[in-house]
Amino acid sequence: MKKLLWLIAVSLAAGGLALAQPKTMPAYANLGVTAGKPGGSLTLSLASAPQTFFYYGAIDSAIQNLANQMFDGLIEYNLANYQIEPALATRWTITNSRVYTFDLRRDVRWHDGRPFTADDVVFTYTQIVANPEARGGDAANFDGVKIEKLGDFRVRFTLPKPAPAFIHYMRLPIMPKHKLLPFSQEGGKPRAEINTAWPTNVNPEEVVGTGPFRLRSYTPGQQVTLVKNPNYWKRDAAGNALPYLDQVQYLIITDSQARVAQFLAGNLGQINITGAEFPDLKRRETQGASFRVVQFRALFGSPPNLSFNYNAKNPELAALFKNSDFRRAMQFAVNRERIIEDVYNGLAERASYGVAPLSEWYYPEVARLQGRFDLNAANAALDKLGLPRGADGIRRLPSGRPLEFTLTYGSNSAVFTAIATILQNDFQRVGVKVNLQGILAANLLGTGRGADWEAILLALGDQPDPELRTPIWKPGGALYYWHQATQPTTPTGQPQFNNFLPWEREIYDLWERAASTTNFTQRKALYDRWQSIAAREAQVIMIAKEYAVGAVSNRYGNYIYSLGVIPGFNPLPLMFQR
Amino acid sequence: MTTFILRRILVAVPTLLLISVLVFGVIQLQPGGFLENMLEDPRVSRETVENIRRQYLLDQPVWAQYLHWLGGIVRGDFGFSFLNSRPVSELIWERMGWTVFLAALTILATWVIAIPLGIYTALNRYGPTSTALNFVGYFGLATPDFLVALLLIYLVLISGGTTVGGLFSPQYIDAPWSWAKFQDMLGHLWIPLIVIGLDGTATIMRQMRANLLDVLNQDYIRTARAKGLAERVVLWKHAVRNAINPLISLAGLQLPTLISSTIIASIVLSLPTIGPFLYDSLLNKDQYVVMALLMLSAVLLMVGNLLADILLAWVDPRIRYE
Repeated sequence: MKKLLWLIAVSLAAGGLALAQPKTMPAYANLGVTAGKPGGSLTLSLASAPQTFFYYGAIDSAIQNLANQMFDGLIEYNLANYQIEPALATRWTITNSRVYTFDLRRDVRWHDGRPFTADDVVFTYTQIVANPEARGGDAANFDGVKIEKLGDFRVRFTLPKPAPAFIHYMRLPIMPKHKLLPFSQEGGKPRAEINTAWPTNVNPEEVVGTGPFRLRSYTPGQQVTLVKNPNYWKRDAAGNALPYLDQVQYLIITDSQARVAQFLAGNLGQINITGAEFPDLKRRETQGASFRVVQFRALFGSPPNLSFNYNAKNPELAALFKNSDFRRAMQFAVNRERIIEDVYNGLAERASYGVAPLSEWYYPEVARLQGRFDLNAANAALDKLGLPRGADGIRRLPSGRPLEFTLTYGSNSAVFTAIATILQNDFQRVGVKVNLQGILAANLLGTGRGADWEAILLALGDQPDPELRTPIWKPGGALYYWHQATQPTTPTGQPQFNNFLPWEREIYDLWERAASTTNFTQRKALYDRWQSIAAREAQVIMIAKEYAVGAVSNRYGNYIYSLGVIPGFNPLPLMFQR
Repeated sequence: MTTFILRRILVAVPTLLLISVLVFGVIQLQPGGFLENMLEDPRVSRETVENIRRQYLLDQPVWAQYLHWLGGIVRGDFGFSFLNSRPVSELIWERMGWTVFLAALTILATWVIAIPLGIYTALNRYGPTSTALNFVGYFGLATPDFLVALLLIYLVLISGGTTVGGLFSPQYIDAPWSWAKFQDMLGHLWIPLIVIGLDGTATIMRQMRANLLDVLNQDYIRTARAKGLAERVVLWKHAVRNAINPLISLAGLQLPTLISSTIIASIVLSLPTIGPFLYDSLLNKDQYVVMALLMLSAVLLMVGNLLADILLAWVDPRIRYE
């Protein structure tokens, strides 16, 4: 009898385990995370009104922020070390970097109570992510990928060729098939129809995800309100249900000063700030204001760089800009230390190409190869290039014209403006005249991808794996804007290899090899080599990587900095109101 | 009078048509466009953009696009917002309520405050109060509204207040109307009223002062006084009625500023009005939204002018439109 009871107890426990598969979060003691208490609400801000409530319907930072709370991906990042962890997938196997098989978490429910299954995953990736007309989709990276359902809780992705960084794409939010089928090609609609799903005037009940919070309401131009998902599949380290907070509100505040004011007035619980705003808030903190200003080194974020247009319209300038000796000379005149001190108030560090100093891919030699600020060295190098100074102190090009060029920067960004001015001053001291041209920061990349610029200050995002940034850093890529002659003439064509510089060809081959190498150590060696060539040739001149700084009211505990828009990195469920 | 109004409305049609050509032309002239902006994201392929271009008929010749757009307007369809994937009219309508409310309130407050102050400063030209008021007037004229907004926010913050932006505290935004919500709104409303209204108040006050001073030196005022009329009658019946005429024409021009003039102040104060929406659309080159809003302000300008003319005829019996 006793034995029978024991047997029943064991089988019940086993059955329960098989049914409910909550994920227990790591303790994160090193991040200061403690057990929170349920309840309370938090008010955050959005810099613009959401354009849609459908993540893949627009490229929009507001919906990217919100989607992080309303939806989950198959994988997510560890909040402390950025390692990949299970999310909606519990485990996976990768064969030859080509076949990815995922086991899905059981007993996860959509906000409306419907069960989450492999159908949703297959639907999301085939009908939305791989749909070339979904505006926020990612069709290019899913071209030729076969996506199959292998049972209710198992899916398989088969890639046409090995792609070691492919796993990172699995953090994209999974969407409910039962709600979105009517907007999809599978549901009989044209492919573009998917973009019209969940417009901002949608009934909030329709927008269902699996995430920690669900949509409650949207008041146009003012506020988005999310409420707790009581059936969320995450637990804290002690086994308590997450999220702790009952409600998260997002006020729509476009202006950064207005955001700080709302935070100081106590209407916002947490804000992300810049190094420029840091001293004022830190002073208030030390004077006893009831908030903390916290800084983190972040994996994500966009360090600005100075690039020269190798294909500038003026042929003399183009020849100079293409010359690594010239770029190296200019690099000597870039005073990174001063920029870090004056512009970022010390809250920044030296940057590498495409990977943050915190990342496992970072190659520390880059800092040495970039060299130090040295005007004498810059002058000597420019002299050696045969650029003598004229009577006015400005150097002369071989044609006798003064060496001057336009530097385009984002005039509505305090950081870009200050950096541009510092560069202009220091370049003047080595006899190079810079004319500043300020444009809207939002238009910088568009201008850079055009032909009408000479030098430009632009910030490109760092990612957890260099491969995710292939279009930027691999010569001939779609975003390799400083040497556009390398880009293919047709969208699907080969790069124009005849226009490659020898070292660009070297980098190109390294990237080609890295993309099909699966062994981490070998990939790391290849990307190290790439970073050292980029730094040696001063491909572009990386300026600095800003620390992540946030301010949080003392009413809240377990605060971990988040950029907010990175899928798969979401510390908010751990935050609680004291 | 009816003939006059009818004639004005008839003249308005070709004028609006001309404006629509101009608006459309200006939008076509600007470099780039929403679709070009989309290409900046590495996830967006050329193919996607071409598909959207076809979907919105942007691949057709410019005149065909124009006719299509105009045809839509005639049917009450102002096109589709690229940014929001929704009809433009819906989006504008969503923000119309608060925009009209704020603008109407501001215009009302401006006039109610500025006219008496203008009269006062004209009558007491050299008094200390007038000097102080004139100073405030100059300050209002010389200070950009966003700076006034930042100053007020700063003042509220150092005095320990929390009403530093928006129209409501966060907990009231979604709440149904109640006495508490109304009070909360009043607590927030004064900042936008001052910020948006200060410039207008100063302008109208200065204008009213100048007009009245001008009129007060006229012969008919001397005559009125010589006839022994009470000073009250001289001032209100003879002087103010004549001095206010130019201001009525001015008021007609104020109507389109409902949309455009409060953009920066609305952004700094996070107001849910059309201003920030127009700004966003301009930045993102969401062309149908921009064109609809430009057309709307043209219509408002014409309606404002018509109203001003009618009002003028009513106020001043000498004016006849025949």
